[in-house]
Amino acid sequence: MPTLTVNGKKVTVGNDAVILDAARAAGVHVPTLCQFDGLEPWGGCRLCVVDMWQQGWDADWFKMVTACNHPVADGMRVVTASERVVETRRVVLDLLLARCPETPLIQRLAAEHGIAATSYEPNPTPTDCILCGLCTRVCDHIGVSAIASVNRGWGREIAPPFHEAPPDCIGCLACAEVCPTRCIPYSEGAGKRRIWDKDFEMLCDPVTGEAVITKAQAEHFAGRSGVPQGYFATSDTSKRRVMAATFSKLTVVK
Amino acid sequence: MRIESRADFEALQEQARQSAGSHGQQILVCCGTGCLASGSKQVAETFAREVAKRGLDASVGTFVKTTGCHGFCERGPLVALLPSGVLYTKVKPANVEKIIEKTVLGGEVIPSLTYKNPADGERIAAYAEIPFYKHQLRVAMRNIGRIDPTNILDAIAEGAYAGLAKALFEMTPEQVIEEVAVSGQRGRGGAGFNTSRKWRSCRRAPGERRFVLCNGDEGDPGAFKDRSIMEGDPHSVLEGMVIGAWAVGAHEGYIYVRDEYPLAVVHLTIALEQARSHGLLGANIMGTGFDFDVRISRGGGAFVCGESSALMRSLEGKIGEPRAKYVHSTEKGLFDLPTVLNNVETWAGIGAIIDRGGRWFAAMGTERSKGTKAFSLVGKVKNTGLIELPMGTTLRTIIFDIGGGILNDRPFKAVQTGGPSGGCVPEALLDLPVDYERLTEAGSMMGSGGMIVMDDRTCMVDVARYFLKFLTEESCGKCVPCREGLQQLLHIFDRLVEGRGRPDDLQIIERLSHGMQLGSLCELGKSAPNPVLSTLRYFRSEYEAHIHHKACPAGICRELTAYEIVPELCDGCHACFKACPVDAITGTVKELHLIHHDACISCGACFDVCPTAAIRTFPKVELKTEVV
Amino acid sequence: MIEQTCVDLAKAMDILGRYPAEEPSLIQVLQDVQRAYNYLPCDVLVKVADALGVPLAHVFSVSTFYKAFALNPQGDTIVKVCTGTACHIRGAGQLVEELERTLGIKPDQTTEDLKFTVKTVNCVGACAMAPVMIVGEKYWGNAKAARVGKYLGKGSGNDEN
Repeated sequence: MPTLTVNGKKVTVGNDAVILDAARAAGVHVPTLCQFDGLEPWGGCRLCVVDMWQQGWDADWFKMVTACNHPVADGMRVVTASERVVETRRVVLDLLLARCPETPLIQRLAAEHGIAATSYEPNPTPTDCILCGLCTRVCDHIGVSAIASVNRGWGREIAPPFHEAPPDCIGCLACAEVCPTRCIPYSEGAGKRRIWDKDFEMLCDPVTGEAVITKAQAEHFAGRSGVPQGYFATSDTSKRRVMAATFSKLTVVK
Repeated sequence: MRIESRADFEALQEQARQSAGSHGQQILVCCGTGCLASGSKQVAETFAREVAKRGLDASVGTFVKTTGCHGFCERGPLVALLPSGVLYTKVKPANVEKIIEKTVLGGEVIPSLTYKNPADGERIAAYAEIPFYKHQLRVAMRNIGRIDPTNILDAIAEGAYAGLAKALFEMTPEQVIEEVAVSGQRGRGGAGFNTSRKWRSCRRAPGERRFVLCNGDEGDPGAFKDRSIMEGDPHSVLEGMVIGAWAVGAHEGYIYVRDEYPLAVVHLTIALEQARSHGLLGANIMGTGFDFDVRISRGGGAFVCGESSALMRSLEGKIGEPRAKYVHSTEKGLFDLPTVLNNVETWAGIGAIIDRGGRWFAAMGTERSKGTKAFSLVGKVKNTGLIELPMGTTLRTIIFDIGGGILNDRPFKAVQTGGPSGGCVPEALLDLPVDYERLTEAGSMMGSGGMIVMDDRTCMVDVARYFLKFLTEESCGKCVPCREGLQQLLHIFDRLVEGRGRPDDLQIIERLSHGMQLGSLCELGKSAPNPVLSTLRYFRSEYEAHIHHKACPAGICRELTAYEIVPELCDGCHACFKACPVDAITGTVKELHLIHHDACISCGACFDVCPTAAIRTFPKVELKTEVV
Repeated sequence: MIEQTCVDLAKAMDILGRYPAEEPSLIQVLQDVQRAYNYLPCDVLVKVADALGVPLAHVFSVSTFYKAFALNPQGDTIVKVCTGTACHIRGAGQLVEELERTLGIKPDQTTEDLKFTVKTVNCVGACAMAPVMIVGEKYWGNAKAARVGKYLGKGSGNDEN
């Protein structure tokens, strides 16, 4: 169980912890964009950079690393807001503000770092997508992989294969919900859901009639878990009623 | 014949040497990509035909051999003759008969086909006397130009696999690593990481399965040493990899070859097959019970795949996205297993290091950069080509003694080293001994060994912009500083070369550059600002001229440059008229010619061909103030 | 955009038979497909995804990431101008412009009659012969803009510049 300091504050964390875990344990805020608990860290946005010193190094020799994926070590010293760390974060946000000049999250983060307007040339076709990769990473994590990054460099974008309705998409909305800037649109209504130009039939709760889940997603979960499809097509309300009814029939044995 | 013991190998060596020595005369025709582009294949075919026709192969033991790159590409097609050691340059099929008659049979040299030293006009017939070759010390490229790369016996006759035999029969894996440590060899791909340290780290990593990989993704524009080694002596690479596999306990290897090098793939494939059939690769190598085999994997056309973690992702069938280096690839590399990745030139040196000893290698070079290094000397230099020299040779020696000085004797301006991750070194630093540390101190880096010589007709702002353009197309796009930063730098440079620079541009460039160096995920992004920062360091005045005076001092940036013919110097030769792609020049033969500014696109084609230097450039802004 | 045409899948099945049915084979398979069809047809990519057990989205991602692949049919002859540093300073730009004047297309475009595609490529490693233009399989070293027409007319053969 390594013990380290974050901005001088001592914390002890688990063996497999990363610097971000230590920062949280120390109550120190480190900004992130492409990080999401439960998903493998990616290290793409570079916002979470921190300065770090490890045992065996010269006293003043620090290395700048991303907190989201760098492992902790016993005796490590982490500085989360050194001059060069703050400057790097500013450059990152300044660049993102140029790319996404109309995106509230980026405007807010940039403003918090003292940037009111970008120093660079604003994107002639503004987008909300910061290319954090969370959508594709969560889709891979679920085992669907319906979308992926396309092209490379500045032309990189997130898209389904051939820029058409993705055959593998199950309409689960995980991508839309994990997106920090909410830039993946979807619509629902009349027993249907539409995302990525693909239409999905919704399964409705037999009792309440509310649309619960797409048929495709229920099939996917049933296939992976062996649990009957019907379970997934039950609304939370109905599930709670069933559980309540079950518990009410239980007798307590003293 | 399959080698099952050391005695078998030594017998094969003997057989190969005898066969090689049995030829009375050898005619070596360079068939590296450069000479092939000049038509050397036809030269080789003509030689083969003529020799057979005259029965010379039987009677005088004349043997025609096609080899890999001799290095002196500027003078190709190159033909070397043994045992006389004569080198003929710019050989055409029409010259073949005369060469056979006069030199092969008659023992006479044909002066018009020999190398003419531009310094004094002297003709030099002997290969070993030509300055281009005289200064060289070839280790990694030791056999290139001497052997037929598609014939393993030729390679064995020249010493291939002798190092492997020593390693397998006389040394333990630990001893092999120790020998490489003594040599001090550092990676030749650009990073310059100590080879033995990498191997040791992999050897110690837990787990049974591990890999050795060869990085043949030579992406630096201007560098072609790896291509030449893979094409011209693939066995040097294979031998190194088998030794390395023995040292770290790997049984599987890959050679990752750039998509743009088809001939390298062909020659490597042949080499692999021949090595296998002789028991030098595959199961039970040389009868020792050690198994190791190699597969070739072609790149998909991505510079970023030269980065080690991106290369491994590409081998896994994925996009070439680098990942953080916190977990070393010697512990978790290809398929998350321990992996050693080394550059082609690094592997090519290993056989010689083991055979001749680490101390031999360490005796060459400088204190912290041991051994020799291959360089591709290109650009505005007279003798362009591929050379190998001890570390510590000065830039001046390389460019002027070996390179023969600047093309057309124009003034030297800078030499760019290290590709898109490197920088420009100016005249003041020409006496810099070339090694890893000194180049880095000067704001550049060794990189792959590409050295691009630039003259006064090179605009340093344009050079920086060129590298930015290259990198914007090669960035994988994963991290913000590189993906967005390169794009923004390019926007600024597009404005600079078109005369739309702003007073605070330099400040913005410097700040963004430092942000990219600090924040980027991999070396592509981190080193991307190097060409920008190094040209700013040594040629700031050029940037200022672009911004404040809308002028390009080198006369290259088209929006800023106008051309005109100086009447007193024009002799009406009509060359400019013919060269102009947009018919912007009028004039009849023997009369003064005129460039029409409204049609002129400032491409400089006329300037390049004018034999009397009668064309001058001047800032385009001055045009508007002229009264026509 | 991506054009869909019916393709003969037999060549693709043949290619797939040569490699292990797993993800690491993907790039090698796509290169053989590119060579066999002169581009990567959609139908073939779907087959490849299925055969190798790789999600279609990842196959598409790889197809668009690497420069070796084209998603639209290429011309019969690919004309490549090397834009390596040595070629750049020795006039590669002039070659590209001359090609545009001669063929009417910019890099990454194909002529209407599908005869030529122009591409700029990264350093091909023949820097001593800069600037280099490759028409089909033939390398033209020390290429001159004024001779572009000649280079295009002679697609193969070993004549000199």
